[in-house]
Amino acid sequence: MNIQVDLTESDNILEGFIRGEIDAHTAPVLREKLETYQNHQGLKAELDLSNVNYMDSTGLGVFVAFYKSVNSNGGHVKLKGLSARLKRLFDITGLGDIMDIESVGKGGN
Amino acid sequence: MSDQSSVEILTEWDIVAARQLGRNVAKELGFGTVDQARITTAISELARNIYLYAGKGRIEIQQLTENGIKGILIIAADSGPGIPDIRKVMEDGFTTSGGLGAGLPGVKRLMDDFKIETILGEGTDIRATKWLR
Amino acid sequence: MAQEIENQYKEILNEYMKKQTEQNLYVGQNFSRQLILENIAPEEVISMHKAAIQELYSELPEVVWHSFDFLIEMMINYGLALQERQSLLKQQEELKVEMDLAANVQETLLKTKLPLLEGLDIGLLSIPARKMNGDYIYFVSDHDGYAGVAVADVIGKGLPAALCMSMIKFGMDSLNSSHALPKDVLSVINRIVEKSVDDSMFVSMFYSNYDAKQARLTYGSAGHEPAILYRAKDNEFSELFAKGLLLGVSPAAVYEEHTVDLEKGDLVIMMTDGVTEGRNEDGFIEREVIFELIERKKDEPAQSIVQYVYDELERMQNAQFQDDFTLVIYKKV
Repeated sequence: MNIQVDLTESDNILEGFIRGEIDAHTAPVLREKLETYQNHQGLKAELDLSNVNYMDSTGLGVFVAFYKSVNSNGGHVKLKGLSARLKRLFDITGLGDIMDIESVGKGGN
Repeated sequence: MSDQSSVEILTEWDIVAARQLGRNVAKELGFGTVDQARITTAISELARNIYLYAGKGRIEIQQLTENGIKGILIIAADSGPGIPDIRKVMEDGFTTSGGLGAGLPGVKRLMDDFKIETILGEGTDIRATKWLR
Repeated sequence: MAQEIENQYKEILNEYMKKQTEQNLYVGQNFSRQLILENIAPEEVISMHKAAIQELYSELPEVVWHSFDFLIEMMINYGLALQERQSLLKQQEELKVEMDLAANVQETLLKTKLPLLEGLDIGLLSIPARKMNGDYIYFVSDHDGYAGVAVADVIGKGLPAALCMSMIKFGMDSLNSSHALPKDVLSVINRIVEKSVDDSMFVSMFYSNYDAKQARLTYGSAGHEPAILYRAKDNEFSELFAKGLLLGVSPAAVYEEHTVDLEKGDLVIMMTDGVTEGRNEDGFIEREVIFELIERKKDEPAQSIVQYVYDELERMQNAQFQDDFTLVIYKKV
């Protein structure tokens, strides 16, 4: 039950690397870090999830809340490096259609 | 006893001086070893708070008598920023004590009576009393 | 401190000093338990010890007494930490009582009745991982042979999730129709959830409507784990997938709907991800494992199949379910 969140922002471009597990225990950590940036106007966020080995619906909730907020402020969120399992989660929930997600190795959605 | 019944708290050494003062008075009043240790620890905690959060303040020690029973009164006063949420600082838990059980809840447990008054931007006044059993 | 306790301590200590047997130590430990129950602080025990030694061995050098005074100071903070711990434990107990009450309210509020339909055997199990259940099942049926079922997973925890569920229940109740089509039900509930809960709460839901006369299942999904269809004729499992966005994300979401006709022996398996996202030390428990479990019991009543799947998954995960477990099985008989 460990998570590592590295976020760097400059010129309204947010680059993030998330490692570990995103579940009910670790999701609050991620949420808190993302909340710092979610109200920026026109933010372009790119989050790399290649090293996320587990995510459940709580983790999903964090990303959706972030996505909703950034979008309403005229920005854009892209998630990349999704494993097959993660991509399935986004596809089943229908979030894969409304969010910009990219799985490992392949391009776009 | 000389009238040096209070100690200004500015440096960490002053905490020791306040402890010494408290212990002397407690001994004089007739408190046993354990109670002396408790009173001194309470003073230490209060002085430390002044040192860490208010920057400057004073610890005053007074001898009391009520209904023939003797007691010691510790006054910890500072003109620091004040405490924004008293309820929170009096709650047990990690935020107040870091798992050590100290902090203001600890002082309350070490002494018999405890009173706190704080005004944001002006300062804090804490009074704790222990009675001879 | 009571003189009696001090005397008792001195006596027990003295016995040990004379004989140093295991028996003495045992007696001593039993006594310490009594001290703890009477809230005697650690520093008081040391003080008691010092007083006892002073009496028993008064000729010892000054330095020994000084060392005890030092130890007393050392123990004050231990005493404070202990008191804090006891206070926190008490608070925790009180919270547990409140949670129990809340869970009870939740259970009463969300009670739902299993439909009795011609030719349909229903099995059901919903077990929370902790006190409050984040999964929700809702049945609605009538005497014309129609039944609707909603299997939902509220993403979020505790009281806010429970309140969200209440909103959903009232929404379903007001629809009050066992004929209602999945795409309509999901649309309505979606708007309710979107309007009334905060941005971090979402709900996934699988809704299906069963027509017993035609043995026809109409289903739709809002971002939920797809249901599984088992065809007895082919002895094969397939997914019942229907496109639809999680509830509460976008008010304009539109939901797909599909139908499937059931034949004797067929199974429809609806669940939440507490069933499919099982884990043990080796990693994820794959979905094929669940299919296998179901296949083993396919000729038994629906409830037995549900119970078997639960028991086996519990065994595989050492009874440590990470998420709420909800499983509904429809069996065409």
